[in-house]
Amino acid sequence: MTHMHIPDGILPVWLWVSGFILMAFILGFSLLQLRNIDMKRKIPLLGAVAAAMLVAMNLEIFIIGYHINLSVAAGILLGPALGFVAAFIANVMLALMGHGGITVLGLNTFLLGSEAVLGHTVFFLLKKRLPVFWRAATATVLTQFVATLLLIGIVAVSRVNPALFGHEEEHAGAIRDSVRMFAAVVLSFGSIGWVIEAAITGSVMKFISQVKPDLLGHVLHRGTSAEK
Amino acid sequence: MIDVARIDHWAATGSGPFHRASAFSKSLFVGLVVTAAVMSKNPYPLAAGYALLLIAATASRLPWSTVALFSLYPAVFAVLYGLSLRGGAWMYGLLFFKAVTPAFAMVMLIVSTPYPKIFSLMSTFLPEIIASGLFMTYRTLFILLDMMNSFAAAIRLRGGFSPGSLAKNSSNISKGLAMLLIRAVERATRLYAVMAVRGYNGSMAEARIGRPSRHDWLPIGAGTAVLMLVVVWK
Repeated sequence: MTHMHIPDGILPVWLWVSGFILMAFILGFSLLQLRNIDMKRKIPLLGAVAAAMLVAMNLEIFIIGYHINLSVAAGILLGPALGFVAAFIANVMLALMGHGGITVLGLNTFLLGSEAVLGHTVFFLLKKRLPVFWRAATATVLTQFVATLLLIGIVAVSRVNPALFGHEEEHAGAIRDSVRMFAAVVLSFGSIGWVIEAAITGSVMKFISQVKPDLLGHVLHRGTSAEK
Repeated sequence: MIDVARIDHWAATGSGPFHRASAFSKSLFVGLVVTAAVMSKNPYPLAAGYALLLIAATASRLPWSTVALFSLYPAVFAVLYGLSLRGGAWMYGLLFFKAVTPAFAMVMLIVSTPYPKIFSLMSTFLPEIIASGLFMTYRTLFILLDMMNSFAAAIRLRGGFSPGSLAKNSSNISKGLAMLLIRAVERATRLYAVMAVRGYNGSMAEARIGRPSRHDWLPIGAGTAVLMLVVVWK
C-alpha cells in the first residue's frame, strides 16, 4: 500500500507541507540516532537495501494493482533509523523517475518509513515466540494494515479540499461516501497484497536467516542474534 | 516502473540545449512548473503549459514522444482520484493536467541530466549520509536490475513461472529477491573494502551547484512561461 501515486498539485498545500515537516522531523531524529555508528560501513548496505526495494517495486501484481515494497525487510535488515533513511532514498529515486510527485515525497516517506520502523519493532518484539518466517510475515501484515489505515486517513483529510474545484456544498456528502468506498477498496484488495507481501517477506527473511544469518544481527541490532 | 537504464543513456549521451543547461537551472525549471500546477485552478493554462513544454522538448532534441508517454503515467491515478470525487469534465481536465504537466517537466529533467549531477546538486543541502546513500543506491540499482533480468530469464527457461499458480510463483520470486538482496549486500561490502583501500572517508557525492551556463535561459524561460500562464490566465 505504502506509497501514494498521487501526482503534484492535487493534495492540499497544508497537507503536503505537513508531510514534509513530519518527514524532516523523523529523518532528523533518525540521523541523530545514527550519529554514533560507523556510517562508512553502513552506506554501502543502505544503498544495497534501498536499491533492492526499488527493484522489488518493479514486481507488480497487475490484477489488484499492488507492488511489492520490501519495506519491512529493509526495517529488519537496517534497523528503524536507517530503514527510515532507506525509505526516503527510495522515494527520492522514485520521484526522480517521474513515479510519484515531488510534493507528496514527505507523505510517501512517512508511509514507507513507518512500515520499516513498525516492521522492525514487531519482528524483534516477536523474538523467540515464532520462527523467522512467521515473525516476518506477521510483522508485514500488521505493518501493512497500519500503513493502509494511515493512507486512508491521509486521503480522508485530503478530500476536504473541494474548494479547489469551487463546489464545496455539493461535494460534502460525496466526499464522505467516496472515502468510505476508497477505504473498502484498499482494505479488501490491499489485504490480498499484504498476504502476498507477507509470504514474500517471510520467505526472504527465512532464506537470509539460513544463508547469511549475520545480516539479521548486525551492529544496529546489538543484543539480538541471528535466530532460525 | 520507468526504464532507468534508458533514461540514464539519454541523459548521458544527449547534446541538445537542454542537456547543456546547468542542473540547477533545470531543477529551478521543475520547481516553477510544480508551483504552477499547485496554484492552478483552471485546466486551460496548464494544457497550454504542457504544449509549451512539448515544443521545448522537441526543440531541444529530447525524446519528446517518450517523455510525453512517461508523463501520462501519473494521469491514471489522477483520473481515478477525480472519478472518486465525482466531478465534471472541468475537474477531470484540471486533475489530468495537474498530474501530467509537472511529470513532463520532471521527465525532461531526468532525460537531460545524468543522475550524479542531480545528486551532486542535492548534496549541497542534504546530509552526507543521505547524499552518499542516494549515490550508492543509484550505483547498485543498475547491477540489481541486470541481475533481476537474468534471474527472470533463468526462472522462465527452467519452468519456474506458472501462470495461475500464485503460491509457486511467490515462492520462486521470494527466493530470487532473497538471493538478490544477499548478493547486493555482498557486492556493497566488497565495494566498501575497495573504497576504504582507496581512501574513502565517508564522502561520496561531490557537493556542487555547478556553473551557470548560457543555455540556462531555456529551462528557466520555459518554467517561467508556464508559471506566468497560470498566474495571468485565471
